[in-house]
Amino acid sequence: MKAMTHPLTHLVNLSAPLNLEQYSELGGYQGAKTALVEHSPNEVLEIVKASNLKGRGGAGFPTGMKWSFVPNFEANDPRVQDNKYLVCNADEMEPGTFKDRLLLEGVPHQLIEAMIIAAYTIGANKAYIFLRGEYHLAAKRIQKAIDQAYQANWLGTDIQHTGFHLELYLHTSAGRYICGEETALINALEGKRANPRAKPPFPQVAGLFGKPTIVNNVETLCNLPHILKNGVNWFKEVSPNSDAGTKIYGACGRVKNPGLWELPMGATIGQVLNDHAGGMSDGLKLKGLLPGGASTDFLMPEHLDVPMDYDSIAKAGSRLGTGGLIVLDDQNCPVAMVLNLLQFFAQESCGWCTPCRDGTPWAVEILTRIENGQGSIEDIDALLNLCDFMWIGKTHCALAPGAVEPLKSALKYFNDDFMQHIEQGCCPYHRGH
Amino acid sequence: MSDNIENNNQNMVTVYIDDQAYQVSSDNNLLAGVLSQKLNLPYFCWHPSMGSVGACRQCAVTQYQDENDTRGRMVMACTTPVTDGMRIRLTDEQSTVFREQVISAMMTNHPHDCPVCAEGGECHLQDMTVMTGHSTRDYKGEKRTFTNQHLGELVGHEMNRCITCYRCVRFYKDYAGGDDFGVYGSRNNVYFGRQQDGQLESEFSGNLVEVCPTGVFTNKLFSAHYTRKWDLQSAPSICSHCAVGCNTSVGERYGSVRRVMNRYNHDINGYFLCDRGRFGIGFVNGEQRIRVAKGINQQSPERLSSLDVAKALVHHKGKRFIGIGSARASFEANYYLKNLVGDNHFSLGLSADEMNIAALHKNFLAKNAAPSLQEIEQSDFVLIIDEDITHTAPRMALAVRQALRNASIDKADLLGIPSWQDSAVRTIGGTSLTPLYLIQSHASKLDDVAEQVILQKTKTTVAFVNELTEMLNTHEDVICFEHQHSSLLNQLLQAKKPLVIGGWGSRSDELVSAISEFVECLKQSKYLENSSLKCLLAPPQANSVGLLSLMDEQSLSVEQVLLSVEAGGESAKRELGIEGIILLEQELQQFNPQQLMTLKQSSLTIIALEHSENKITELADIVLPVAAVTEGDGHFVNYQGRIQPFYQVHPSVLPIQESWRWLGLLAKAIYPNHALAKEAKSLNELYQLFLQEDGHWPIRVNEAERATARETHRNSGRTAKMANNSVHEVKTTQSQDHYRYSMEGDNPKSSDNMPFTWAPGWNSNQAIHQYQQHVGGELISQSADDITQQSLDFTDVQVLKPCWVSQSNNGSEKINPTAERNFFLQKPWHKEEWQAALVPEFILVEQVNAVAVSKQMAKDNHWQAGQWLNTSLLDGYDNQVLSTAAQVFIDERISDDLIYGEFDCSANHQVQDISLSIATDEQVIDYQNRLEQQKQAAKTQQQQILVRLKQQDQYIPIRLVAGGLDDA
Repeated sequence: MKAMTHPLTHLVNLSAPLNLEQYSELGGYQGAKTALVEHSPNEVLEIVKASNLKGRGGAGFPTGMKWSFVPNFEANDPRVQDNKYLVCNADEMEPGTFKDRLLLEGVPHQLIEAMIIAAYTIGANKAYIFLRGEYHLAAKRIQKAIDQAYQANWLGTDIQHTGFHLELYLHTSAGRYICGEETALINALEGKRANPRAKPPFPQVAGLFGKPTIVNNVETLCNLPHILKNGVNWFKEVSPNSDAGTKIYGACGRVKNPGLWELPMGATIGQVLNDHAGGMSDGLKLKGLLPGGASTDFLMPEHLDVPMDYDSIAKAGSRLGTGGLIVLDDQNCPVAMVLNLLQFFAQESCGWCTPCRDGTPWAVEILTRIENGQGSIEDIDALLNLCDFMWIGKTHCALAPGAVEPLKSALKYFNDDFMQHIEQGCCPYHRGH
Repeated sequence: MSDNIENNNQNMVTVYIDDQAYQVSSDNNLLAGVLSQKLNLPYFCWHPSMGSVGACRQCAVTQYQDENDTRGRMVMACTTPVTDGMRIRLTDEQSTVFREQVISAMMTNHPHDCPVCAEGGECHLQDMTVMTGHSTRDYKGEKRTFTNQHLGELVGHEMNRCITCYRCVRFYKDYAGGDDFGVYGSRNNVYFGRQQDGQLESEFSGNLVEVCPTGVFTNKLFSAHYTRKWDLQSAPSICSHCAVGCNTSVGERYGSVRRVMNRYNHDINGYFLCDRGRFGIGFVNGEQRIRVAKGINQQSPERLSSLDVAKALVHHKGKRFIGIGSARASFEANYYLKNLVGDNHFSLGLSADEMNIAALHKNFLAKNAAPSLQEIEQSDFVLIIDEDITHTAPRMALAVRQALRNASIDKADLLGIPSWQDSAVRTIGGTSLTPLYLIQSHASKLDDVAEQVILQKTKTTVAFVNELTEMLNTHEDVICFEHQHSSLLNQLLQAKKPLVIGGWGSRSDELVSAISEFVECLKQSKYLENSSLKCLLAPPQANSVGLLSLMDEQSLSVEQVLLSVEAGGESAKRELGIEGIILLEQELQQFNPQQLMTLKQSSLTIIALEHSENKITELADIVLPVAAVTEGDGHFVNYQGRIQPFYQVHPSVLPIQESWRWLGLLAKAIYPNHALAKEAKSLNELYQLFLQEDGHWPIRVNEAERATARETHRNSGRTAKMANNSVHEVKTTQSQDHYRYSMEGDNPKSSDNMPFTWAPGWNSNQAIHQYQQHVGGELISQSADDITQQSLDFTDVQVLKPCWVSQSNNGSEKINPTAERNFFLQKPWHKEEWQAALVPEFILVEQVNAVAVSKQMAKDNHWQAGQWLNTSLLDGYDNQVLSTAAQVFIDERISDDLIYGEFDCSANHQVQDISLSIATDEQVIDYQNRLEQQKQAAKTQQQQILVRLKQQDQYIPIRLVAGGLDDA
């Protein structure tokens, strides 16, 4: 029954992931078989569209719709391309997020099966897994799984005598947060600087090596075998709300039991934090939290009843993002936390556009002074100005706006803390230490 | 101003900018549209030639959906297409605040070292900072610092000034195809430079100086003897280093030339120059300059007078002279000389073989209008036959490189992406390139982007081209023809805008003839009916086409001139009635020492008009110091036949004056009865003379042109300038053209002829868009009768039959050694032109002799790549053997019958034979020592020049009349 309630994680085995044979015995590759044997690519596309699967990488864009943007030109159209690509974005570098790692290390064949389905649907014969450089164990396990899949004719030419070909390559990143941005990822994969590209053209039209390309997150892809196997209705019914399916939620920070849990999409923040993460560590109170990784707005204790689906979190003023909670307690300095996050974003800026390249370090400079007790009241305005300066529409990609989210919301919710730093000339949290 | 703005072929739509309606072209982006309306909108990363990438975010404006939309949405103008009815604001609060924020963020790490920055006063960053209103510094943190690199002798590097607009790397790598410069690092620690210190390898590196919006890349030659832009005295000029005829703006102060900047010309150089043109101007200030007349007795030790000249020549009165013109002298001077000495006594300074090429070239021009560089950039197929334009016409090679992008642009167009979306076009285009075929006898700098490089000796190429012609002639359906090279022909015949380039580089008249026939045959082809075939021959020098337009069947080859000398001076005088030879800026490179000796020992009077010392001035009886290109008025005719004026940038120090002025004096003394024996005070007067003599004189000057200032409006205190000499206000020097030696004057009627580029608020060269009809388009001309664009008309010239048989080989049967030989040697590209080779900075540019051999040859001789060989070169003219060491490299593309290389030595086109052997250690050390000595000498020379010029700054030569000898 776990297969129906915990489709993504029920086969996870972190100490020894299932090999191809074991995975197949437990129902693995059935989704791929269903897709390749029973459906045309267009039918699979319609199934995925109907399932309302949304991207789990953070943006929540409907996967089927994304796929449908791959142009389908007639053979004699001058725009027709000789190749298309599928890329799995496994460059999981969002601070506080480690959900893809679980899937990559725990059940690698699930991803390979998913990629076969996706590649078949969009008509790609070449696919890449772009893996975070630091995920050494995942790299080893995925490569092993790929080798097994080739041997078992789940990859290579004429897969399972269906006539479908797929070459799958594992590419390990040199390690930049910006590679999580799909066009920067494509540049990196081409051996170029990992700068996000100008859009249009979107990757669906001209992506990797100028060919139509789909980039999907690990968790997004891993839903596919189950949608194919169990059907659209099952997928929609797993979740109590309109955002279908399950979601791997996580929690980190000073909670009793940090970790990951696959829950129906739309579990509340309180459920994740209290029922699964065991609540705050002894003696600590919840001060605030980032609901979906570092690049989301803070939410406060009064938001514990908010369901963690795309719309509800947005209504509360933040973003679901990756669904990995970063929890701040009352003994840690929110200014120091935001400073830490901004340092990360400043460090990871690709250096292409001015607001991000020069704005994030400027914010770090100001936050450092405030944290060290050398801030002034004007610095708060300066930070608010920088938040405007780096906001959506003004930058080349979403990195700087992502950095603004925790900063701006911290200025809103933790204004007292900022003012205390300035007025007392030191960090109130570190006074006693 | 907008009277005759032509919006030719532009799709104009209505755009509301701050509630006012404008007609804006929808072919370009919104930023270009705004700037085309002469409105101010700051920008950095966008460049009119390189398109948009949206990196700097400086050009943000607010776009509104309709009249009722009050919030609007901020967009980057450079990445926003222009659409009909769109509404934007430049003055709204949100975009105004944001633009100021962008500058203030960029400036967080800028060193604010404007007082010591060579860009100061013409800095785009300064201009944009003022434009956005950013005036106080809020950033309180530390600045990051970089270590700078030594990028060679030409371009300086100061990375701390960088604002990270990415223009440099986009120009150097993406636009010019350089691979030794890049972008490193990330976040606010992005570094633009080379992997390690070293000379920039691209022949377009100097454009970094203009492309960079601030002072990261600076002109080292300019910085060494630095002055602010507003203190420069400038005039429009034409580059004298090749036949492309790039428009330049030359700046001078205190009597010395300081720098060359690009002067926008839509058809030719656009926004970019090559390094030979930009950095090769040093010869004007050089140590080799001839500053006094030789062989003339002066009455007054201070000044040479017209009377002195007349006296010196009194014995030659009424006698015949042979006149040898040259392709680096002005069109006026050559024309003048020919008309003085007569058709049958005029030589172009070319050998018989070269005369044949020139004759073929003249015929070629009669049938084929050569395309401009702008037209070259539109090509969708390029075939270059045995002409290394990266050496002979580097700027043309850059245009060819742009043409190759058309494949990507077309691909993007299919997906609805306009060509100005540079990064998007590159994403879509990937590696696709317009086909370029290179048939040549050596590797070239375009090989990396060629579809196919066919390396073979010239003789094989002649046969190859003839074969192509044959195929076109005999086969009905060439497209299906199975042949080794059918892909070349197929792609050529399927192209809509094919381009064929040949030239003088092979020195083979057979090849030029073959190319002419091939082109004629192509024009007849049924496949090319709907396409526009363009073709051109690249001539070697700045005024080659002007010179060959003066050629007729009576013109003498240098061999014929030599014959008349060899016939014994006395008999020449007796039998031919020849008194002497007038050499007009002609160094007779073809002559060997023996022939020079013959010339010296003959009793003929040798009169040399020259600006710098050479072998001819050493032996001449009379040497008259002539003005370099920046010191006089005149015209050059470029490879297309385009007649382009260059103007005096600064008055020369007498007795240096223009060749045509000297010829006036010579004419009065030698040919007193000749109709042209008058001293013209200006070019206008000279043309009046010419027109009286010959109604066909092609150049007109606009007498109605208004006075234009050579100096900027902000030129430092005119009265104080010479206060160390006199506190009295000195009268300004009177000019003979319409450019004034003062800051008084208007812009010229035609923006083609601006002395420098400046507009209110725009102090850098980027001000040019204020003078363009639309960004990247033609310049605005306010005179209805625009005579700035004149061309020679070759269409009804008499067709010349090649008939100049070389007589240097004892009258034996005509052979063409250049086509036969199996090796091809080049000089380094920056020294290929005589004047450029005089520039000490170019001698300092690191250069190692290199020779390429086939794999088999290397194997047979046990040569390893990188090994030193001793190369013996046999000079065909004097049978002297010249030995030099060279590093061998292996070119797997060539067969055993070809050797090529780049040699920095005196022997060049005259080399008849080559032999290679492993060099001994002594030979290598000897070569390296020589190289080192050369460098040391160049360094010393460079310093000497600088010391002299800096002394000269203290004493400014004052001239009141900038025309003719001062006989007062």
